[in-house]
Amino acid sequence: MVELRTPRKTSKASKMDANGETASLKKRKREPKEETTASQKRQRSKPKTQPAAANGNVDDTTDSQESTLFENKDLQTANGDLELTDASNTLTTRNTSAWKVSNPMGGRMLDIDPIFSLDERYLLITYNTSIQVYSTEDSLLVRRISLPITKLDSGAELSSPHIVASALSASAPEFLWVACSDGRIWHLNWATGEGAETPFTIDVKKVLDMTVESVDIRDKQEDVLFILQKLTKSSAQIVAYDLKALRKKTGKLIHTYDENPQLLRSAAGGRLIVAAAKETLHIGTLKSKGKTVKAVDDLEYAFHSFGVPDLVTCLDIRPTLQTTKKGGIEIQFVDLVIGCARGAIYVYGDLLSKLPGSATKGGPIQPRKLHWHRRAVHSVKWSEDGNYLISGGAETVLVLWQLDTGKREFLPHLSATIENIVVSPKGSSYALHLDDNSAMVLSTAEMKPTTYVSGIQSLVLSDKPSKESLVRRVWRSVDEISTPLITTSNPTNPSQIFLCVGNGQQASSTGNAPSTPLIQVFDVSSFQGVSKHPIARTNPTDTNMTSQGAPIIEPRVTKMAFSHDGKWLASVDEWQPPERDLEPLLTGSKTPCEVSRERREIYLKFWEIEAEDNSLQLVSRINEAHFTTESETILDVASDPISSRFASLGTDGVVRFWSPKLRRKDGLASTGPEGQQLRTWSCSRAVELPAYGQLEEAVEVSPKTPRSGALAFSEDGSVLFAAYGPSSGAVVVVIDTATGAIRDTIPDLSRGDIRGVEAVSSSLIILSEDLTVYDIVSDEVQYSFALKETSEAAKQMTHLAVNRESRSFAVAAPIPNSSQEKLKKGAKSELVVFSVDEEVPQLIQMFPQVITAVLPATNSAGFVAVDSAAQIWSITESGEQAQMLQPLADLNMEESASAVAPVDHAVEDGEASDEEMQDADADVGMEDDDYDVHQAVVAPQKLAEIFNAAPAFAMAPIEDIFNQVASLFSTRPSTI
Amino acid sequence: MAAEVQPLATLKLPTVVSPITAEQRYWKSFKNQKSHTSTAAWPISHISFPGSSNGSAASHSLVTAAKTNDLFAVTSGPRVDIFSIRKRELLKTIGRFDSQAHSGEIRADGRVLVAGEDSGKMQVFDVGTGTRAVILKTWHVHKQPVWVTKWSPAELTTLMSCSDDKTVRLWDLPSNAPSRLFAGHQDYVRSGAFMPDRNNLLVSGSYDSTVRVWDARAPAGSVLTFKHADPIEEVLPLPGGTTLLAATGSAISVLDLVAAKPLRLITNHQKTVTSLSLASNGRRVVSGSLDGHVKVFETTNWNVVSGSKYPSPILSLSVIAAGAGHEDRHLAVGMQSGVLSLRTRLSGATAEKARARAAEDALMVSGATSKLAKIDSAKAKRKRNAASNKSMALLGENVDVIIPTDATNSAGGRKRRVKLKPWQRDFREGRYAACLDAVLDLSSPEYQPVTALSVLVALRHRSALREALEGRDEVTVLPLLKWVIKYISDPRYATVCVDVAFQLFDIYSEYVGGSSELADQFAVMTGKVSREVEKAQMAIITNGMVESLMIGGAEA
Repeated sequence: MVELRTPRKTSKASKMDANGETASLKKRKREPKEETTASQKRQRSKPKTQPAAANGNVDDTTDSQESTLFENKDLQTANGDLELTDASNTLTTRNTSAWKVSNPMGGRMLDIDPIFSLDERYLLITYNTSIQVYSTEDSLLVRRISLPITKLDSGAELSSPHIVASALSASAPEFLWVACSDGRIWHLNWATGEGAETPFTIDVKKVLDMTVESVDIRDKQEDVLFILQKLTKSSAQIVAYDLKALRKKTGKLIHTYDENPQLLRSAAGGRLIVAAAKETLHIGTLKSKGKTVKAVDDLEYAFHSFGVPDLVTCLDIRPTLQTTKKGGIEIQFVDLVIGCARGAIYVYGDLLSKLPGSATKGGPIQPRKLHWHRRAVHSVKWSEDGNYLISGGAETVLVLWQLDTGKREFLPHLSATIENIVVSPKGSSYALHLDDNSAMVLSTAEMKPTTYVSGIQSLVLSDKPSKESLVRRVWRSVDEISTPLITTSNPTNPSQIFLCVGNGQQASSTGNAPSTPLIQVFDVSSFQGVSKHPIARTNPTDTNMTSQGAPIIEPRVTKMAFSHDGKWLASVDEWQPPERDLEPLLTGSKTPCEVSRERREIYLKFWEIEAEDNSLQLVSRINEAHFTTESETILDVASDPISSRFASLGTDGVVRFWSPKLRRKDGLASTGPEGQQLRTWSCSRAVELPAYGQLEEAVEVSPKTPRSGALAFSEDGSVLFAAYGPSSGAVVVVIDTATGAIRDTIPDLSRGDIRGVEAVSSSLIILSEDLTVYDIVSDEVQYSFALKETSEAAKQMTHLAVNRESRSFAVAAPIPNSSQEKLKKGAKSELVVFSVDEEVPQLIQMFPQVITAVLPATNSAGFVAVDSAAQIWSITESGEQAQMLQPLADLNMEESASAVAPVDHAVEDGEASDEEMQDADADVGMEDDDYDVHQAVVAPQKLAEIFNAAPAFAMAPIEDIFNQVASLFSTRPSTI
Repeated sequence: MAAEVQPLATLKLPTVVSPITAEQRYWKSFKNQKSHTSTAAWPISHISFPGSSNGSAASHSLVTAAKTNDLFAVTSGPRVDIFSIRKRELLKTIGRFDSQAHSGEIRADGRVLVAGEDSGKMQVFDVGTGTRAVILKTWHVHKQPVWVTKWSPAELTTLMSCSDDKTVRLWDLPSNAPSRLFAGHQDYVRSGAFMPDRNNLLVSGSYDSTVRVWDARAPAGSVLTFKHADPIEEVLPLPGGTTLLAATGSAISVLDLVAAKPLRLITNHQKTVTSLSLASNGRRVVSGSLDGHVKVFETTNWNVVSGSKYPSPILSLSVIAAGAGHEDRHLAVGMQSGVLSLRTRLSGATAEKARARAAEDALMVSGATSKLAKIDSAKAKRKRNAASNKSMALLGENVDVIIPTDATNSAGGRKRRVKLKPWQRDFREGRYAACLDAVLDLSSPEYQPVTALSVLVALRHRSALREALEGRDEVTVLPLLKWVIKYISDPRYATVCVDVAFQLFDIYSEYVGGSSELADQFAVMTGKVSREVEKAQMAIITNGMVESLMIGGAEA
């Protein structure tokens, strides 16, 4: 059963596995001492033929863990792994019981208008996997309604379902309609969170858009859903449903097109619907024959269509209603505005009167043209009074058009492309959704933000093509995730994680590699972006396009590390000129690629973290930290766990140690404006690693061969492990950090490119195409697994993170999929947690998205993973179900409960401060006269035990904590 | 929220070893040398100016500070000359000495002067009235030449003297006999000083190579003795009263009084160090030596930060501070040849005034009246601002906070929006060619090479380099070429220059035939580059030779 093999001798072909297994196949070197080892190597694997059979359900992770592992009967195509299929599942399940994966938090706001509640107290934002309700008063998350978007049994992998529209119910404002592209329609009560489990399902190919109107049906206001659904490749239908029709799954067909409309809008209680196909508008008006509508089947529309000058990207209707003599309501006139893909805005005033009487295409209707935007108009809206238009787009400028005078007002230089604009029901504020995964509410009077919601800004694989891509551009937007998200956590503030991000999804995903010039500081406990700092060259106020229309590429941060005390941050950023600029510079036989490489700018920067506001101060910039004849890539940066020191490894094969020293000028210590001593970072030692060729004379490696490598300090900082070399054979070099001497050189621990090295006490974990755990002291391999052959892109996205507190490490990688060269939509990831001492995985968990980063949770025994849907998962060892931020609703703070008892307030206060808790306790006692009042005496460490058990995002549910605290306080002093 | 428009950030070039440090620039700014030769070319033996009396006078008003600090005394031969600090002019000469005068010192209030002489006499003169100095007091207690007479910084009536009779004495002005006598030196005592901030401590240095610290309270007197290798020519206590400098032969020793041990021996001079002086409010020490060198030391690690050479051996020097901030004003150096050299640094408002005057003169000569008017109006505005500031300052006697009218230095207030320069606006609005022309203009008064470099690098980052270089005619392309030729050999500019040169060759090489100037410039550039290549080759060859030597050495 156990295949004994020596490393690097097994040919890659023997491990080729077309079937898509992820990891952990072969054991090596260790003697088979017990029979159970065979079953320990039980594989988790997911056959390609059953792709979503595994853990597709985002919200149900713990239940589906077994299915991930064991629902794999058709593994037989694998050559040489057959022996693993019959293994029992007992070991895995037993071990995984200790590790849990939390529900995901966060996500990416979709390009769907945020929704104001009618009283403007709440903002409902549609995320890619959830609906989140925020309070506009304090920007806090009130409720997160998670929607199981990724279905378990969907056959086609590539047409992944996504939310296409959400709309507030017109007749019952506490309900929300959410449409998914696969035909599921949720009717959610956003005030209570009910309805997420039971969607209606309609039988369609693809839902394109949905609007909701309240229509008089039998003199009762009822919601009617107008759903735009795809019929064939070039035709679509509008179908109307009411609740009854949804249950029956049959709606009333209203209109069929030969075109492919993308947008559907309706107005005035369903009296008007407008659908926009590429350069055509279809206007449908309700035929009111004087009779009341008895059912949805009675709805009849007359349709007109006419051409517009450009591709429509957004539209807004402003109907003016009047009361008829009979007391009915009819449309007096309709103003329509459309935003177009080339930047123009067209205003059609009083459209209905200009429409020809017949349903055929009428003559050209002359609109008023407003052109300021350079690129596509992402959103355009009428103001409440109809005097203004509000528009926004990739220029990051909010434009207010005064229609009477033609004057424009601007709110320039917002942080990212404006995706959606919504005017609040009272017209007193605008909600903006920006491309950097943030939303804000601006008051119309002052144009100052009153609410700001900001999520993780990492790159996501989006479902809908951007509005920019409607027009052919010289660039194409990136539809894959090619580089891992660089994240790190602040050792002094466990709730903060630092992510390297770009200026919004669209700005950062154009060009060869995503630009990530910013650091986003994200607080996991409050689940809000705290701040953003430019860490490489970026200027939000400059145009980000060249005159040829190509995007300007900003540097990409490739490595980042905190010093042990959290006072310093080292970052590496890379920039190289795009090859299109380099044509005149080609000399001799150089290729554009080489010329571009020669001009790479690789900077190693050291930042000081200001204690009070967490802002970053650039202290030193090293231009060419590693160089030969050109700047060399910095493969890894590691920080010393006991002193302020960093080590870097470059492709020049040199390990450099960096340490701070007092900055001197002319022999004098220079001081800052407040007289504080300034420091500067410089290379304190350089250690040249032995080239592979010197170790084994027989193997000649050309210096051009790409090298890979990684660094890890030992836990006590006394040695540095540097794994480095060409993929044909990297070695691990053990360097004494005090003297710089090379203590040991260990070959043959890796196979292929080094993807990560970590050290836990005496164990060294090396992740290459093998996962090897090596004991430094006893000089032997503890255990080793081989990873599946996978694509280059997937190799890039393999992560290794180690948590020294629990002596465990996590490996995450995309599940190999031979049909996908790049990591596009639909790719899934798997995360495996090992304990250093045991070769049995502690947890095997599949994720429905690609994991872009894994980092150990500070001060606790878990891990934090970020996926390609901008969600954060917490993986904890505790027996409790891990939780991150609690939405306010779960803290017993019902927004509708106006008569909240004071005790309930005590509940939410209690977790903030135990003194208030005591006060509340005393209050209760005073109300109750019979109660024997005593001051609860609680030792502070008892409270600390409860509250410091885990970091904020991994805490036990709030009820449990409350119960624990309550029991602590309610106990008589004598029993404590 | 909405981000503010920022101008293009200037590149920070890597620091290279600069030929001139900021410190050197500072000491170089002591210009406008004025030489004054003493009567009969007597060597200048001592220069002194009254230090502020504990800084109390300085803080109150400019007027009194200037008044009390306006004098300095220069002792040469049998004379003491009194100069004005502000005017750098000789005000008065005291010649009433029978023999060589020593150590003419003005008291902190600027009213009386004390000096010793070779006969052993000590005299106190009235500085203020008349051209002829009135002798206020004469002591003839020392029987050997008196080399040091110094006023106590704390009490106006106390003074000390050091004499060749191996004694140090403490005097009270009204009494005829010394109030204290310190005996213990084995040889001539040629230097001495009061310890600042410690009223009862005195220090003296003698030709017996010892530095002794005396305590007026202790019955024995001597509390500390530092033994050196060479005679002590000068002692200088540093502010704070814990560190002491002593010039011993050609070295300067740094003594720590608290630990009672020498900290360091500074051996930067070749010949006997004759004088020491504090500068920059005690943050620097200036030394002068018989080798003619003046050296400036910083006071933490005692590195030389600047220096200059004088034509004759230096016997005395002093950095004369003046004004409310006690800025260094003059560097006064007295030499064996009898020449007193005064170098003056114009600071702050004075320097600005001097610049403005120079500009005005230049314009007056060329006759540009409109510009002159502009300068006049600017001057008037400045004057108004200064006047209002001044009135505020006078008002401020009794208020806690004075807010200057100039908006730029009001800290917490709203920052005035940075106005973009024309080239910055050009850059921002995409007129790259115009922007480049502006920053590459070598003749422009605002020209700075690093700005040009910043723009070129930014253009490369924005993929707009070609756009900025394209579409030029012969006249507009030549400045670009000249700039590239000028900087292509600078390693910090080389990569950008090479890119620009490639682009220029690519765009304009076809026009070389039609324009001789263009052809010339291209030829010049080729020549410069080939010279650089030769240099690099030489460097590589040299490196190779050194390496083979190193390997040979390692094997042997």
